[in-house]
Amino acid sequence: MRGPAVVFDNVSLQLGGTSVLDRVSFRIESGALHCLVGPNGGGKTSVVRALLGQMPHSGSIRFEGDVAKPVGYVPQLLDFDRNVPMTVNDVMALLGQRRPAFLGSARAARAAHAEALERTGVAGLGGKPFGSLSGGQRQRVLLAQAISPMPRLLILDEPTAGIDEPGIRLVETLVAELHGRGVTILWINHDLEQVRRIAQSVTGINRSVLFDGPPDQVACQLETGR
Amino acid sequence: MNALYDSIRSYLQALAASGTLPQPFEYEFVINALLCALVIGPLLGVLGSMVMIKRMAFFSQSVGNAAMTGVAIGVLIGESYTSPYLSMFGFCMLFALTLKYTQHRTTLSNDTLIGVFLSISLAVGASLLLFVSAKINTHVMESVLFGSILAVDHTDMNVLLGVTAVCAVLGLPLYNGMLLASLNPSLAHARGVRVRTVEYVFVILVTLVTVACLKIIGAVLVEALLLIPAAAARNVNRSLPGLVALAVLIATFSCVVGILVPMQFHIPVPTGGAIVIVAALVFVFTTVIRATASRFKGASV
Repeated sequence: MRGPAVVFDNVSLQLGGTSVLDRVSFRIESGALHCLVGPNGGGKTSVVRALLGQMPHSGSIRFEGDVAKPVGYVPQLLDFDRNVPMTVNDVMALLGQRRPAFLGSARAARAAHAEALERTGVAGLGGKPFGSLSGGQRQRVLLAQAISPMPRLLILDEPTAGIDEPGIRLVETLVAELHGRGVTILWINHDLEQVRRIAQSVTGINRSVLFDGPPDQVACQLETGR
Repeated sequence: MNALYDSIRSYLQALAASGTLPQPFEYEFVINALLCALVIGPLLGVLGSMVMIKRMAFFSQSVGNAAMTGVAIGVLIGESYTSPYLSMFGFCMLFALTLKYTQHRTTLSNDTLIGVFLSISLAVGASLLLFVSAKINTHVMESVLFGSILAVDHTDMNVLLGVTAVCAVLGLPLYNGMLLASLNPSLAHARGVRVRTVEYVFVILVTLVTVACLKIIGAVLVEALLLIPAAAARNVNRSLPGLVALAVLIATFSCVVGILVPMQFHIPVPTGGAIVIVAALVFVFTTVIRATASRFKGASV
C-alpha cells in the first residue's frame, strides 16, 4: 500500500511578527522521495513542524489518497536531550508502545524494536545509555524508531548530518528500500549531490518556494541562485 | 473505606500489643500515617522521576508553596483549618494552570516565569497569613508547612487514595506521551501525542499529588520528596525502569523510616522534616556510590 500524497496549499507562518513561511505551495506525490533544500533559516524545519501539526499556520496541508499514519519522523540530532536517563531500549519503548516505558516492553514489542535496531546497524546497543552513544549511533537509533512500526509517511530532518560514510550509505539504502515499498518520504537535505542521486522531486525553499521540480534541474537552480 | 482502615489498624495494633511489631504501631495515628506512606511512596517515586526528567523541579516547588496561600484563603473563607482541601486544590490548580498557560504565551524562560509566579504567591500568602494567624493556633500552620502525622485522619487518607486513582487512570496511559512531549515535541506530534494537552494533564497531576501529600510531608517539603528519591535513584541508574523502581523504593523507605524512627526514639521533629532527611541521607549515599564505583567513573550519563 502506497503512502499518501501531501499537498501544501498557500501555507504561511509567522513567529513573533516575523514571516517564517510565505504562501508556500508544493505537492509531494504519493510514494515519492521528495527532498526539501534551502539555506539555513529558510523555513525547512518550519515546513515539517507545520506538517506535523506543531505550528499553527494559515493555508492548508492535506493528505490525498491512502491514510497517512503511522508517521515516522527523524528529528535533527541536536533536538534530543543527551542527559535523559534512558537506554536505547527505553527510547524505543517510549516511542513505540502504549505501555508506560518504565514497565518495560512486551515480548512482541521487544522483538520489533530489536529488528528495527538491527536494520539500522545498532543491534548490540539496546542496553546502552542513549546519551553515551556517538552522534552517528544516536542518529541510527532515531532512524530505527522512525521505521518501527513501518510508516506510511517518513519525514527526515537532515538524518545524515554528522554521520560517517557507512552511516550515510546505510540511511540511503534504508530509505531506498522504504521508497520501494511505497512509503512517501520527505527528506530535508543540505547535500545537493545526494539530492541529485536519490530524490525524485525537490522543492527549494527560502521563506517562499524558490523552485519545485525534478532534482537534475532544480539543484542547478539552487546553485546558480547562491 | 473506613471499615477497611479500622480492620487494618486493629490487626496491626494487636500485633504491636503482642510485641511482634514495634511499640509505635500501638498508636492509631502512626498506622494512619504509615498507610498513607505506602501510597505516597510509589506515587511520588513515579511522578518524581518524571518531574526530574522533564526538568520541572522548580515548578513543583512553586505549587507546594502556593498550597500555603491556599490554606490561608481556606481559613479566611471559613473552611476547616485542619483540612482546607477545597481552597488548597482550588488555589494550587489556578496557580499551576495559569503558570502553564502563561508559559505558552511568553518568551520568558521557565525559571524566570516560575520565579515571578512563586514570588506573587508567597507575597499573597504572607499577607493573608497575617490575618489568619489571629484566628488559629500557629501550630496548625506549622503542621501545614512541615507536616504532622498527628493530623492525618480518614478524610486525608480518602483524598490520597482518590488522587492516586486519578493519577493511575490518567497518568499511566499518558506516561509515554507526557515524557516524549518534553524530550522532543516534534517527535511527540509525529507519534500522535497531543503535546499541549498532555502538558496540562501533567501539571494537574503534580498539583493533585502535591496537595494530597501535604498533611504528611508539609507544603514546604513535599517538593523535596518528589525530587530527592528520583535524584538519588538517578545517581546509580541509567535505565528508565531501574530509575523509577529505585525512586519508588527510596520514597517509600524514606516515608516509613521518617515516620517510625522519630516515634520509636522520641525525637521531636516534624514528620516532613524527618522523611526528607532520610531521603537526603539516601541521596548522599548514592552520590558516594556514584563518585567511587568503577562502573560510573568517567561516565557522563
